[in-house]
This record gives sequence, structure tokens and C-alpha cells, in this order.
Amino acid sequence: MTVRDVERALRTALSRGGDWAEIFWERHETLQLVLDDQRIEDAITGVDQGAGVRVVSGDQTVYANGNVTDVDDVMAIAGRAARSVADGSGLHEGARLAPDELPRPHSVAIDPRTVPVERKVALLRLANEVARAHDPRVTQATVSYAESVQEILVANSDGVHRTDTRVRVNFAAQVVAKDGAVLESGFEAVRGTRGFEMLTEDAVRDAAESAARRAVLNVGAQPAPAGTYTVVLSSEAGGTLIHESVGHGLEADLNLKGLSVYSGRIGEKVASELITVIDDGRDPGQRGTAAMDDEATPTQRTVLIEKGILRTYLSDRKHAEKLGIPRSGNARRESFRHLPICRMTNTMIASGDSDPAAIVRSVKDGIFVKKMGGGQVDVVSGNFAFEVTECYRIRDGKLAEPLRGATLVGQGPKLMSEIDMVGWDLGYSTGTCGKDGQGAPVADAQPTLRIPSVVIGGRVQ
Amino acid sequence: MEESSEPDPVTARLSNDEVVDRTLETLRSGRVATAEVLVRDALSGSVETKDGAIEVVTARGERGLGVRVLDGQRIGFAHTSDLAVSGIEACVDQARRMATITEPDQDLRIATAPLESVDLDIYEPGLEDRPLADRGAIALAVERAARTADPRITHFRKTSYSDADVTTLIATTQGVRASYRESFCGAMTSAVATQNGERQIGYHGEGARRVAELDPESVGTRAARRAIEKLGAKPFPTQKIPVVLDPWMAMSLLGAISPLFSADNVLKGRSLFAGKVGERVANERVTIVDDARRKGGLRSAPFDGEGVATTTRILVERGTLRGYLVNLKTAGKLNSAPSGNARRGSYASPSRIGPSNFYIDAGADDPAALVRGPRRALAVTSLLNLHTIDPVSGEFSLGATGTYLENGMPMHPVQGITIAGNLTHLLSSITGVGTDLTFGASGIGSPTLLIAELSVGGT
Repeated sequence: MTVRDVERALRTALSRGGDWAEIFWERHETLQLVLDDQRIEDAITGVDQGAGVRVVSGDQTVYANGNVTDVDDVMAIAGRAARSVADGSGLHEGARLAPDELPRPHSVAIDPRTVPVERKVALLRLANEVARAHDPRVTQATVSYAESVQEILVANSDGVHRTDTRVRVNFAAQVVAKDGAVLESGFEAVRGTRGFEMLTEDAVRDAAESAARRAVLNVGAQPAPAGTYTVVLSSEAGGTLIHESVGHGLEADLNLKGLSVYSGRIGEKVASELITVIDDGRDPGQRGTAAMDDEATPTQRTVLIEKGILRTYLSDRKHAEKLGIPRSGNARRESFRHLPICRMTNTMIASGDSDPAAIVRSVKDGIFVKKMGGGQVDVVSGNFAFEVTECYRIRDGKLAEPLRGATLVGQGPKLMSEIDMVGWDLGYSTGTCGKDGQGAPVADAQPTLRIPSVVIGGRVQ
Repeated sequence: MEESSEPDPVTARLSNDEVVDRTLETLRSGRVATAEVLVRDALSGSVETKDGAIEVVTARGERGLGVRVLDGQRIGFAHTSDLAVSGIEACVDQARRMATITEPDQDLRIATAPLESVDLDIYEPGLEDRPLADRGAIALAVERAARTADPRITHFRKTSYSDADVTTLIATTQGVRASYRESFCGAMTSAVATQNGERQIGYHGEGARRVAELDPESVGTRAARRAIEKLGAKPFPTQKIPVVLDPWMAMSLLGAISPLFSADNVLKGRSLFAGKVGERVANERVTIVDDARRKGGLRSAPFDGEGVATTTRILVERGTLRGYLVNLKTAGKLNSAPSGNARRGSYASPSRIGPSNFYIDAGADDPAALVRGPRRALAVTSLLNLHTIDPVSGEFSLGATGTYLENGMPMHPVQGITIAGNLTHLLSSITGVGTDLTFGASGIGSPTLLIAELSVGGT
């Protein structure tokens, strides 16, 4: 599509009224290879191309979208959006577009599309062998490779015209171990907004080894006890805690409606002064990284909580304007099929100054969480839960027996005020965040943390 | 001026049938002997409301092609949304290329059995032509019902109505060719209740094949009740206690159980039900059915994602495991008939084994009597982290809220707790099954269930 085509589509979108219009065009190429049960079972590739046209009129938003093959299809979608605009008042001419390019925070040394498929298959075979050789109790392994190249163009009637290309790779291993009648699985992934260079043999081998080690460890572990405990979260555990307990509550859409436990609290103390929370959409190579968000706002490093004080929210255009805060570049959408919503990119608790080993030594009886899985939060009450996929009992300041099947639950602001030790280390994890039916690639990070008292879900002994 | 006229597509658009024909021709001329072609064409729309007014209107058109090539014993899959002739040809080429990457499996098959047409009452014409005002009115009625239900309902996280008109066409090089059209409509809301500075949210959503079957009143009222019942929540001590699951809470756990029935998981050693056919896997009160032929069911379809006729199956009969969910490949490996359970989420993804309308059959117990049964019990009112249940180990440990009951009387709501156990143990511990079988928006159904005992973590 030429710049003139885009201008024409924006004029069509505003032809029946409306204050502002935007076009989001996308071409998404994907390849997925799955080795399961010792065999390359799936080889899947495809192209998904489409566009979405948004017209805003007062407090109303109209969004028409669909698959597109050519410019005419885009015009048809713009026409469909225009026909749904109820407002017949004052027609707005779209401004002349002023195309510009944003600096890319991610570098792609090797475009995965240029790598022969044999090399990708060889990585899967290597991972399968490593996982199966780990222990005789390993009974099954599923390893997968995925590449994704998403090209987008965003233009709006303010004259903005920008493009971005997000190249992502994703290697994942799921390993099953069996001991008697007990089955357990272990998972590990290597993924980022990076080229094929991210998936070195060492990285793939380590991930397969970790998944296998976790499955075997859990199959021999005792069920976690239910109750209230002192918990140390390792930096290796990843950042599900910050994502669920705080991150979602700081999304501007929920705060405009006054629904979050953090609503109306900018400038107030919402966490211990040991806690600083940052969302950084430009963190190089991380899974949530991009040059711009899906409304063409440049991504940035946003300090959300500074030494316990709430500073701002994660915003898109609409909510930044309504709340009178700066746009933070956090408008994200799964694809052209959806309107963008406020959400996280790469979110972290900043490192503190305690020695991580000393944090473990400080606990007489507690639980050490080495790896977290998925989580969920009820943003209104602040209650959250996250899965623990690897944990140990702490006895007299030392790691003791492994435990399985644990969950950690709490209330965001309460937990954040209670954290009393923050390590000098920092560890990342990656995931796909779900909100309002849309998935988004994210990363989270945290240092080693001590929580004096928190509810652990497990079995009543 | 073209800005104000209907834009006319310049390129001729192939009809859905022409796309299928063209794809089959391309396969034939490329000497591909066995392949499957699926086209999906969907029009959908939604309306979101806020404080009594329409806030967002969305219209979506989606049309695409998925091609699965079986080259000897190797399978390849490609998809595209570019349905011009060149796009179709590129897609076929890619599927052939993918089939050179995968490794042989002698049980892979492409459907050959002709499909008979069957009316499952899953389509209401004209949904996409309904005026915006009609669609908006449904969402507004949901919001109004929630506000009317209780004055403590003060906010909404989101209220919406959506509908879709979907056509699916399938064809194989072995002569299978069929299509069906279906409609969906749904309404949901997340209502927020406020009392003395405390806020609690309650979600409820329902789906139907016809607009008239959707009850906005019930959606709004139930969501309001879900929020109100959590107000005044207290911490709760760690203990083992009988648990009551209403149909909606039971459905969400039942969804996590369905992977145990997948023949693929069974064959690959990823299911606790492997080798258990004919054995007791649940309490004798429990019968589990998968019925893709249920009239008007939200997951009903005449054929599955591989072009195999769907069926009605009893998976667990009064506690005894009777069979698994199978597709063409696993039917070959298990020497059984395919059950039509190759589910296809989209034209862009190959089918995976999964349930259709999957439910625990209605039992003999009056739901009110079930709740009154145990001296002390916990009625679960929401579950957090359902997506993290590991179907391989069957272990679950979830965040929850609930209502503490004594002799069936609500004492107080509780929050900040966990419930934990194993899915297989959960099935054996179902000691009461209500008469009130209810189906939810995902096609899963359940009556009220009484669980003899679960581990609850708290203070």
C-alpha cells in the first residue's frame, strides 16, 4: 500500500463523520515444527494478512476488520467502518501523512526465514535426545520450534504513518516423567524478539535439560503442604509475581473505570520502599519488545512504582488522554482482528541490595520457589494466584526436600507492602499474557525476594 | 467521489466453493494423491456498552484456507488468507513442502467416508443483518438487569453482546465434500459490587445458537449475584472440607479433565486414563458424555475438522471408563472407529483431538438438598488459574473464593484461599450429582456437584 492509498482509506473511514481514524495493516508469516513421541509430527506454515480500521466519534469507537489481499479490500473495510458511524455532524478531513521511522530496539542478526529447515529440525532432535537421556524416568518429550515475522503499518488522521517488523523465535520443551502411577511434566522455553541467533545449541540443550530435570524432580517430590509460610522467590523463578500481583492493576483502562486496587493512587505509597517496578518495551531482544506499540506510539522505559510510590499507569492513546498522563506506548493487540488494549511489555521489579544467598539463610522454616508457571489476578479485589513449578522446603536456612503441586495466592498491594528483602540479582521469564481474549508476548523479571507470610496452596497434611 | 460510494472490488473474488474447487485442481495438477482442504468464512460483530450507552462497535470478516497434504506417510499443513488464485497455489506448494519435513506415520489418513447431511439446529439466518440498535439493546439489557438486581452493583468491567455467522467447507481428494453453516450469539458482563469501600467483581456469560434463546436478564442477574456473594469476604483456616460446585464452577473444572480422554495423550503416555478402559475412574454416580450431535449445542457439528462424521459417545458410564476421544490417526493405532473428535479451532490450525458438547449427565439429587447435606461445606464462587492445571499429572492447585456453609446455610464469604487435589481423585470424590444439568458458553455442561472432601489452603 502506498502512502496515497493509506490517505485515501483514512478519508473513506471519516467520510460519514467521526473525529479520528486509524488504519492498522498486518502481514504475519509463521512456521511451526513439532517433534513429539520421537517423530517430527507437525510442520505448519502460513500467512495471515489483514487490516483493521478504527473510527472514533466522541465516546464511541467503531472497528471494522478482516483479511485483505489488496488495497481494494482495505478500502472496503474503511467503507464498512464509515457506515457504522452514527455521527453525521462535522466531517473531518484526514491530515496529510508524514511517514517517519522509529529506531528499532531489537536487532535481528539472522532472519529465521533464511535458515534451512534442516537446522531447525536438528535443534529439535538435539533437544529430544538431551531430554530423554536425562533420566530413565523420562517417558515422553514434546519439543517445538516456532518463528513469527509480523510486519505492521499504522497510520492515523493526525498524520502519523509508521511501520515496524517484529521477528520472534520460540523454542519450547515439555517433558513427561513417570514413576509408578505418578506422572509429572516439566516445561522450559527460550523465546524473544530476536533472530535465529538466539537459539544456539547450548540454549536449546539447557532448556531441554531444565524441562527434563523439573519433570523428574516433581515425580519424586512430596505434595506441597497447604497453609501460610515464609516464602523466598528466587530470581530464577521469573516474574509471574510482578505481572499478576501488580502489573495488571496498573493498566490504565481499568484505572479510568476506577476498578483497580491502584485507582486514584498516583503519588501514594502502594508498596514497600524496597520495591521499584518498571515496564520496558525497549529492553533489547526481550519477548515483549518492539519499536512502537500497536498505535504507533514509541515504546519506552516507564517507572511505574518508585521506591514504593505509585508514579503512573500503562497507557494507550485514549486512556492517557482521559487520565491526563503521558502515553507510555503500551497499546497492544494480538492481531488486526482486535482493538488495542492497555497492557504490559517487559515488566520487572528492580534489583535491591541484599545478598540472595543471605535471604535464603535468613529463613528458619519456609518455602523456596525456584520456578513459577502461569498466574491470574482479579484486578478488582487484587487477589492473585500463580503456579509454582519447582519449589523446595527451607529448613534452618538451607534448601531441603522438593515439593510439588504448589500455588501461591495473595493480594497485590498487601503483598507488595510486606516484602522485606530484595536481592541484588535479576532473572527473566517469558510468557503469553491473556487479557480480554487477546494473547500478547511478554517478559517479566525480578530479583530474589522474601515474603514473610503468604498462603501456599497444596495438600492438607 | 469514490470516498462516499461503496468501494467496488476490482479483482474478482472467488466464491467459497470456487476456492475449494481451485485448491483441489491445484493439488491434482501437482499430482498430490491425498489431501484435505478446509475453507472457513465467518462474519462476526460485537457491541460493548458502558454506563447505558454503546461504546465500541466491532465488525469482523474472516475468510481463509487450510490445506493438509499426505505425501505417502508424511503430513504437511499450510494456511493462507490470500484467496486469489496465486495465493491458493502458494498455499498448496507450502503444504507440499511441509510434508517433506515431517516423518512418516503409517496410521495417518485422509477422510474417505461420504458424509450424510444432518440438521443439528445450529443455524439461525439473518444474524449479521440485525441492526446495530438491536445488538446494542441486548448488551444494554444485561447491564440494566445487573444494576436492577442489587443497588450495590456500581460499575462494570465490560459488558458485551456478540454474534457470528460461520460457514465451513471441507473436501478431500478421496471424494469427501460437505459444508455446514452455523450461528452463535453471546452476552457477557463483569459486574462490580461496592460496599463499605470493598469491591468485588462477578462474571457471567452465556451463549446460544439463536438470539431468542439468549436471556440478557439472566446474564445480568447472575453476574450481579456472583459479585454480591463475595462482599464481606474473610480469610479461612487451612483444612479438609466438603466442597459444593454449582454447574458453572463444575464446568470450569470439567474443561480441565477433557484432555485425559484424548487418545493422542493416552497413546503418548500423557494421560492418567491410559490402559483404564473398563475400569472404575469416577464415582458410580458420574456419567460423562461427549455429544457432537446435540440439537442446538454450541459445539455441535455434522463433521469434524478432518471431514469425519461426528458421534455421540458415553465416555464414563456410572463411573467406568468406556473409551477415548479419537481422530483418524489414533483410531488406526487403537484399532477403533474414529469418533469425529478432530476439533479445528480455525482454518489456520490443523485439527487436534478435543471434546464437543462435553458434560456430566444429570444425576438424581435435588441441588438444594446437596448443599444442605454436609454439616460444614465450602461452596466455591470463583476459581483463579484454571489454565495452569497440568492434565498430565492431573494435579490442580487453584486460587479460589467461596461461601462457608453450615447445614446448607451461608455463614460468610471467604477469599485468599486455595483448593487443591488431583483430577482423578476429584472424579472419585463426587458423592452428589444434581438434577440441574446446565450448559455453558463453551459447550461444556454440568449439574451441581458435591465433592466429599478437598484440601483448602488458607490462614
